[in-house]
Amino acid sequence: MPTMINLTINGEKIAAPEGTSVLQAARQAGIFIPTLCDYEALEPEGTCRLCIVELSGSIRPCIRVSCIQEVKEGLVVETETERIIKNRRLILELLLGRSPYCRELLDLAGKCGVMTSRFLTGEDDDCIRCGRCVRVCRDKIGAYALCWVNRGYNRKVATDFERLSEYCIGCGSCAQVCPTGAIKMEDRGNQRRIYTWGQVVARFELEKCEKCGRYFAPRKYIDWMRRKAFKPKGIELIDLICPECLRKTERPAPAKVPFGNGAFPAW
Amino acid sequence: MGSTTAKEIVISVCAGTGGVAAGGFNVIEAFKAELDKNGLSANYQPRVHKVGCRGFCAKDVLVDVQVDGKTETYQFVTPEKVAPIVSEHIVGGKPVKKWLVKKDYHIFHDKQQKLVLANCGQIDPESIEEYIAAGGYRAASKALGMGPDEIIEIIKASGLRGRGGGGFPTGIKWESCRRASGVVKYVLCNADEGDPGAFMDRSIIEGNPHAVIEGMIIGAHAIGSVEGFVYIRAEYPLAVERLRRALEQAREKHFLGKKIFGTEMDFDIKIVLGAGAFVCGESTALMTSIEDKAGEPRPKYVHTTDRGLWGKPSNLNNVETWANVPMIIEKGAKWYAGIGSERSKGTKIFSLVGKINNTGLVEVPMGIPLRDVIFKIGGGIPKKKQFKAVQTGGPSGGCIPASLLDMPLDYEHLSEAGSMMGSGGMIVMDEDTCMVDVSKYFLQFCVDEGCGQCTPCREGVFQMVRLLNEITEGKGTEKHIGLLEELAATIKDTSLCALGTSAPNPVISTLRYFRDEYEAHIFDKHCPAGVCKALTHFYIDADKCTGCTLCARNCPAGAITGEKKEPHVIDQDKCIVCRICYENCKFGAVQKG
Repeated sequence: MPTMINLTINGEKIAAPEGTSVLQAARQAGIFIPTLCDYEALEPEGTCRLCIVELSGSIRPCIRVSCIQEVKEGLVVETETERIIKNRRLILELLLGRSPYCRELLDLAGKCGVMTSRFLTGEDDDCIRCGRCVRVCRDKIGAYALCWVNRGYNRKVATDFERLSEYCIGCGSCAQVCPTGAIKMEDRGNQRRIYTWGQVVARFELEKCEKCGRYFAPRKYIDWMRRKAFKPKGIELIDLICPECLRKTERPAPAKVPFGNGAFPAW
Repeated sequence: MGSTTAKEIVISVCAGTGGVAAGGFNVIEAFKAELDKNGLSANYQPRVHKVGCRGFCAKDVLVDVQVDGKTETYQFVTPEKVAPIVSEHIVGGKPVKKWLVKKDYHIFHDKQQKLVLANCGQIDPESIEEYIAAGGYRAASKALGMGPDEIIEIIKASGLRGRGGGGFPTGIKWESCRRASGVVKYVLCNADEGDPGAFMDRSIIEGNPHAVIEGMIIGAHAIGSVEGFVYIRAEYPLAVERLRRALEQAREKHFLGKKIFGTEMDFDIKIVLGAGAFVCGESTALMTSIEDKAGEPRPKYVHTTDRGLWGKPSNLNNVETWANVPMIIEKGAKWYAGIGSERSKGTKIFSLVGKINNTGLVEVPMGIPLRDVIFKIGGGIPKKKQFKAVQTGGPSGGCIPASLLDMPLDYEHLSEAGSMMGSGGMIVMDEDTCMVDVSKYFLQFCVDEGCGQCTPCREGVFQMVRLLNEITEGKGTEKHIGLLEELAATIKDTSLCALGTSAPNPVISTLRYFRDEYEAHIFDKHCPAGVCKALTHFYIDADKCTGCTLCARNCPAGAITGEKKEPHVIDQDKCIVCRICYENCKFGAVQKG
């Protein structure tokens, strides 16, 4: 059992396991804190600044982002003070200034009481620079197909030299984690296309599932994942089976466990 | 041929970046050649050596000529002036009076207290022997004989505070890094000086690199580190070169490497070159940059003294802070704490630039009135213009108005005035400076240099520049000031790193002291300083104009017409508001409106 930490969020006494963030603790207690760059599977980066909260109690009073702040014994968290709401609304207005037609952003802004932005720039860009796609591609998949280019106001997500990326394996994780739909993925027939900002970034041919005959994943992706998952020598998967069929299939237990009783070291 | 009495000849030529740019190396060569020619080299073994910046860059190349212990200083020396100096002064014994430094050189130096810069301008920065002869590395060898806690106590008692901006007490930082758990710890030196108009750190490394190395050795011993890094910007080639040479020399003398100073301690320093991003001067961005990642700040609510470079406890100090350490160990905490004001101890180096007579590097005790620095050491404002404000702390600092000129210069008073110590840049502005334009300049700097990770800094500062642009273009409305203040508050509250949280400072401080200028721009559509082109026009006062045609001849747009000895007229449609006629008119006939 992990050690439980006691803290107060909006006057409510909460216990959360050690090491969790204030944002996670609030979510578990059913308290809503808006955020755009946070994603469960990724390390928090704290860049959208929407999840700011006011902290006091066991630390010096300050404003911090709740996705990075870890829970601490005796911490007093306020998520909806006047100052926080004011700052959060202005940040949403700033984001809307560049992405005025982004539906997801408009929804979130509406929830926070922002109807229009005073900072319209004339741009229409759904990307809000949260960096989820870059993080998932780099930290989770390890393909490094997406990266940041430029800095400051001109910062944006791109592939190397903004060309069709040779590192992209067509897994589609970037589209999966994108909070605003700025990156889109489309499977049509045996073709997969990944679009960012209307441009095709990558085009892949899909492999057929041997069981159900459905097209399900690009070859490059399947090979990549096998290399990552089946590092121990002598083990190779030859079947091309889609995840759904795999779940239905009953596999016999391996006759010989290669390395002792435990799982493979790479797992 | 010289006289027969024994002569000791030492010629010290300023060879900091300022001196080199003014031709310092050529002057050295000329002196060597001239001494050879006069046969002095063979008989007296004269020493012609390069020294670091002594601060008064406006008068470069400065040369000290020391004959038999008597020193005279020459200003604006060029290779052509070398032959007369050698023949008249060194051979003839009579200094060349017309090229000697004037009174202002002495006024510039009299009010200063040179501690960190004491050796700059005296010793050859490329010679470890000269540094040792001047008492160098004595403090390090003394410190290695002391216990780490003893050193930390001395630093704490001295009251030394970080010279890079925040002013955090150095001793406390060292202590928390020493107490942090972990075997591997790092000491880091921040030489990524990026503020516009600041060159203190560059001058220290160029003039006395060994002081920084010695400080880091002492710090490493106190903290328990075996590896140090100096993060220095690649735009400082001379400083990098001298630091690299100094490190090699220190290794040869076994001051760095294995078993330094004959003790059991190992310590070495590596140089890491910064690729020219302002944000890399921020502590966490500096560390990610050393880790070979993109130099972007990390939002970690853990002190870098606990988890810094590669997740290990790291102690980061500025160049000037490190350079202060040896003399504190050498002369004691009590001596150091006796200098400066109540809560700010020691001296601080400022780089005095902008609309000021004596541009250069000055070192003054903390707590000295701002007026003394600008009007005594700095020699006041050129062309008898009015002083308007001084900007301290670089783009993160604020503007201090004339009403606060008697304020003592220390951490507390500067932050009270809405500015900050920063690394020590001091940009002086006169009556012809538009404060809206100045804050626009600094904010644009932050837009260009910010990393772009977090929303408030990336979008917010950009929006502030947009609003300021509208104001200077005459499109400002009463809403603009309110919006600026709202944005400034949010950016300050929510940005990820110190660059973001301090980016709105120039606007906040100018709104505090020069609100009337903003209002003049917005409501009267008039730029009082005559800088913002859309809000300024020039006209010629017919009564004062003598018809000298100077303005008409210099006008690049051909907008000025008029007969000789008759009053001239500016065609407002053609005028591009370049100010040339205004600056050039000898009769004050060109006026701004």
